[in-house]
Amino acid sequence: MTPYRLSAGGLIDRRAPLSFTFDGRPLTGFAGDSLASALLANGRLLVGRSFKYHRPRGILTAGAAEPNALTTIGREGRTEANSRATMQELYAGLEARSQSRWPSLAFDIGALNGLFSPFLGAGFYYKTFMWPAPLWEKLYEPFIRKAAGLGTAAHVADPDAYEKCWAHCDLLVIGAGPAGLSAALTAGRAGARVVLVDEHAAAGGTLLSETARIGGRSAPDVVTQTMAELETLANVTILLRTTAFGWYDGNVFGAVERVQKHVRVPAVARPVERLWRIVARKALLATGAEERPLVFGGNDIPGVMMAVAMRTYLNRYGVAPGRQVAIFTTNDSGYALAADLEAQGITPVAIVDSREDAAPLYTGKARIVKGAVVSDAQGGKALSSITVLRNGQTETVKVDALAMAGGFSPIIHLACHRGGKPQWSDVQSAFLAPGDLIGLDLAGAVATTAGIAACLADGARKAAALLDEMSINATPASFGAVEGDIVSAPVRPLWTIPGVKGKAFVDFQNDVHRGDFDLAVQEGYGHVELAKRYTTNGMATDQGKLSNVNAIGLLAEARGLSPADVGTTTFRPFYTPVSFGALAGPHHGHDFQPVRRSPLHDWARRLGATFVETGLWYRSSFFPRAGETTWRESVDREVLNVRAHAGLCDVSMLGKIEICGHDAAEFLNRVYSNAFLKLPVGKARYGLMLREDGMIYDDGTTSRLSEHHYFMTTTTAYAAGVMNHLEFCAQVLWPDLDVRLASSTDQWAQMAIAGPKARLILQAIVDEDLSNDAFPFLAAREVSLFGGALHGRLFRISFSGELAYELAVPASYGESVAEALMEAGAPHGIQPYGVEALGVLRIEKGHVTHNEINGTATAADLGFGKMVSATKPDFIGKAMVGRPGLVDPDRAQLVGVLPLDPKTSFRTGSHILAHDAAATLENDQGYVTSSAYSPHVGSTIGLALVKRGASRHGETVTIWNGIRNEFTAGRLCDPVFVDPGNEKLHV
Amino acid sequence: MSDIRITPHITPRAALQGCTRLVSRAIRLEALPEGHIIHVLGKPGDTLPMAQLAAVSDGAPHAVRAAGPGQWFIVGDRAKTHFELADLFAALQPEAFGVDQSAGRVRIRASGPMVERMLAKGMAADLSLSRFPIGYATTTLIGHIAAHVTRVGEDAFEIMVLRGFAQSLWDHLARMSGEFLED
Repeated sequence: MTPYRLSAGGLIDRRAPLSFTFDGRPLTGFAGDSLASALLANGRLLVGRSFKYHRPRGILTAGAAEPNALTTIGREGRTEANSRATMQELYAGLEARSQSRWPSLAFDIGALNGLFSPFLGAGFYYKTFMWPAPLWEKLYEPFIRKAAGLGTAAHVADPDAYEKCWAHCDLLVIGAGPAGLSAALTAGRAGARVVLVDEHAAAGGTLLSETARIGGRSAPDVVTQTMAELETLANVTILLRTTAFGWYDGNVFGAVERVQKHVRVPAVARPVERLWRIVARKALLATGAEERPLVFGGNDIPGVMMAVAMRTYLNRYGVAPGRQVAIFTTNDSGYALAADLEAQGITPVAIVDSREDAAPLYTGKARIVKGAVVSDAQGGKALSSITVLRNGQTETVKVDALAMAGGFSPIIHLACHRGGKPQWSDVQSAFLAPGDLIGLDLAGAVATTAGIAACLADGARKAAALLDEMSINATPASFGAVEGDIVSAPVRPLWTIPGVKGKAFVDFQNDVHRGDFDLAVQEGYGHVELAKRYTTNGMATDQGKLSNVNAIGLLAEARGLSPADVGTTTFRPFYTPVSFGALAGPHHGHDFQPVRRSPLHDWARRLGATFVETGLWYRSSFFPRAGETTWRESVDREVLNVRAHAGLCDVSMLGKIEICGHDAAEFLNRVYSNAFLKLPVGKARYGLMLREDGMIYDDGTTSRLSEHHYFMTTTTAYAAGVMNHLEFCAQVLWPDLDVRLASSTDQWAQMAIAGPKARLILQAIVDEDLSNDAFPFLAAREVSLFGGALHGRLFRISFSGELAYELAVPASYGESVAEALMEAGAPHGIQPYGVEALGVLRIEKGHVTHNEINGTATAADLGFGKMVSATKPDFIGKAMVGRPGLVDPDRAQLVGVLPLDPKTSFRTGSHILAHDAAATLENDQGYVTSSAYSPHVGSTIGLALVKRGASRHGETVTIWNGIRNEFTAGRLCDPVFVDPGNEKLHV
Repeated sequence: MSDIRITPHITPRAALQGCTRLVSRAIRLEALPEGHIIHVLGKPGDTLPMAQLAAVSDGAPHAVRAAGPGQWFIVGDRAKTHFELADLFAALQPEAFGVDQSAGRVRIRASGPMVERMLAKGMAADLSLSRFPIGYATTTLIGHIAAHVTRVGEDAFEIMVLRGFAQSLWDHLARMSGEFLED
């Protein structure tokens, strides 16, 4: 016999049939069904194969802990492997496929593993596939991965959207069962901001499966009415289909909402999943308790099911588990199922109660066998009989369904995510939440409260208490008397069942059976953390929700300890699997990270710029022209044009910081290693910033725009870092100084106009006299443009070594001004140039960037020794800059590098060896920090940090590229390849 | 000096030029005029009288917003001339310095009944009216982008963002608004 749909009853909508497929076969369910209930209703006991032995598996639970009924839902980019059929809502057109089987679920070649199971116990792979080592990657691992494992992810992009969201509340209630609903109602009526989350599509938890009456109403009716009231409260947010998966610092909870996982084609404008970060002043965990399986032989045969799950399918979904049903229980809860079965006309063939002294309030017709256990179950793809063992005597009972009720484990997972360890209670025979929780309390079954009435009262009372801590007055909600309530006394645990002959599974998903634990203990892996790794118990998607406590109990018995002494493995997020899509949210593909656009971006684009990502900025790399076939041709042209005529380069992305205050000069004098106290108004100065350890941190220019107003530029890469550094200096190191800082990087469109014609071109738009006398090298002033139509800042500074200026105008005017400069420069041969040409120009001039300022270079290393003041009383880095290691004459120093043969070349990163020295680490003398082809020199040129480099100009060396195994004969030289006398700067 | 003078038609270009406003009954997203944004740098620890700052603003509601300890923004829809800015900076002295950020930051207005829910997709701040009342402002992240957010109405916020990130933030806000744009 098989499970079947009852002719009436349940909370499904029988007027709304839904078609779906399982392994391609068309089936029908009803609105309100889960995939699991619909499969059962269609008589499908066999829904999957196990991970290792490929044993036939059926549906074990009705919720999140399901280890067996893992299916693949959807197709192509919407394929979702390892979906629990128990959690998947049925919808029209749902396509589900079984997993871990080939060629079919009914006939699975992998089931041959079962024949070899005596050899495939825990540790088999580790012991067997050790040798020969090379075969692991080539043979063993691919084979094992093919033979074992769960579902397979699709290799097609997911077409759907995901998003993230924040929520804030006074009280977060996790779980909308009796305790959670009661708590939410109490808090909601009190006006508190409440967020109620539940992982299921419908609120109510176990109330939806209950036959008890509350205040004269059915339990599901109470749920409906409570939810209706909660929905009217504007201060209550209800998040169904939402699993709280983690508890984090600051009482922040992570939750994932399955917004559109219950529809065939999601609406485009809405996400399919939403990741919530919920910031709760207080939280109440009302997550209930998980029923524990019993570890007897064949406990995984399809037809064996948890008793609570059987009640759920019976009462909520209107599905009978079979016609010959037995119940194996260790406590009174199994009798509730018996009563419900009998109400549906199915008298259990036996209730096997492990307690000799059981005295349940049961008046049904089922045969009760006290002091007995089910030692084994028999069957292949469906359960056929069980062996009942009592007083050493066995009896075979024909059954087609068996419920197992091994007691309850509070679902305390979330309460342990912030370091607290579960505490074993001998009284409750369960692990309980840590006792020192802050901002979090537990109510209902998770707090070992038994019975509907008690859970309702506990939720209301705990919520009121938490609200009271927040000075919110609340009256605990009441629901009236409960008729038919079942209050189970704590369970005497039953870990090791006697007389077992078959495989008794502890972890169904990972095919870990009782014998594996015996082996683990025998081989010295008895510690709970070691046993987990040795046996794989508690791994994969269910993380041991059903198995962990039984595993601990078995380990305890095997080692002669209490479960308290064995302890648990560490509880970590996530409670249930969270998709990568939800974690990534909208940040993938085009939206992986934001783009930072220069105010001259569109101007450069119109001129045909090729862009390069520099951090988040998109910078113009070069401007190819018709006929140029390589980037080098474009860059060479741009470089030569700057040296011969003029070029315009977008340098807007340089960091810019406004420094104001009456102590700004003193502040800069302490931040920079060189003197700034006496910088005149209207002048710029190159500045060197050291770290506390004496190494160079960053460089740039700072201009004094007025008595108490300076303007600092930083490198693009270090813009944010320098701003943070300055803020730290101002706020923490020298709060006594009057200095105020503001980043103005985005305020200014800044253009470098470089080349011998730069002055002529600029003068066409600048109103002030730009002659060398009136605006000399390092002049820095606010200027009027276009006859006063606009004002900007002009700096006579040069990175290229040419006569050059940097003009800053308000960013919104950047494009207009750049176009005006191009127009003014057209007769003078102006061309735009990008960062590639900028790099060549600065290397030719021997100017350093962070290629050279690499965190290990001192000022002296880079030839800036004179910029470290010997007279200033203090500045950052002063205390450490004189350390012996930093003044060692053997230190690597900045030097130029040229190939001996101009036709040869070398690359950045190549190492410098003494001429004819062997290419060994010991012979390494430094490396090339920057290199480029210099059209000015006519060969590759480089800057390098080389041992005693400054005193080795002219020395022949070998430039070694170890990655490409290239050797280039080269010569060390002065790092300035162009205009070493700086005459061009001063024309 | 050169004899050649270039006097082109110099015009400002808005960072969000081309981003048409998005409107539904539930949400409204629009780029505000690139008027003026003055970053006021007071001495850390000092509290300037808001009346003094309001006096140099254009007088519109919420023209002055807090921007961290001792710092404020003065904003308005009308662009100020170079000389108006100079006068404003002078008026702030000696207690405070003014820095022109009119072109460096871009203002976006998000409003409508669903605006809190929309912004909560990117902002960690508690946006409820009781915790984030009208006139309150904070610097925060929206997704991966830093922004300065001011509540200017029960269902209305002004978001100020660095110019370079304006387009990315607009795209982000538009996507966050997507489900509320279907009337």
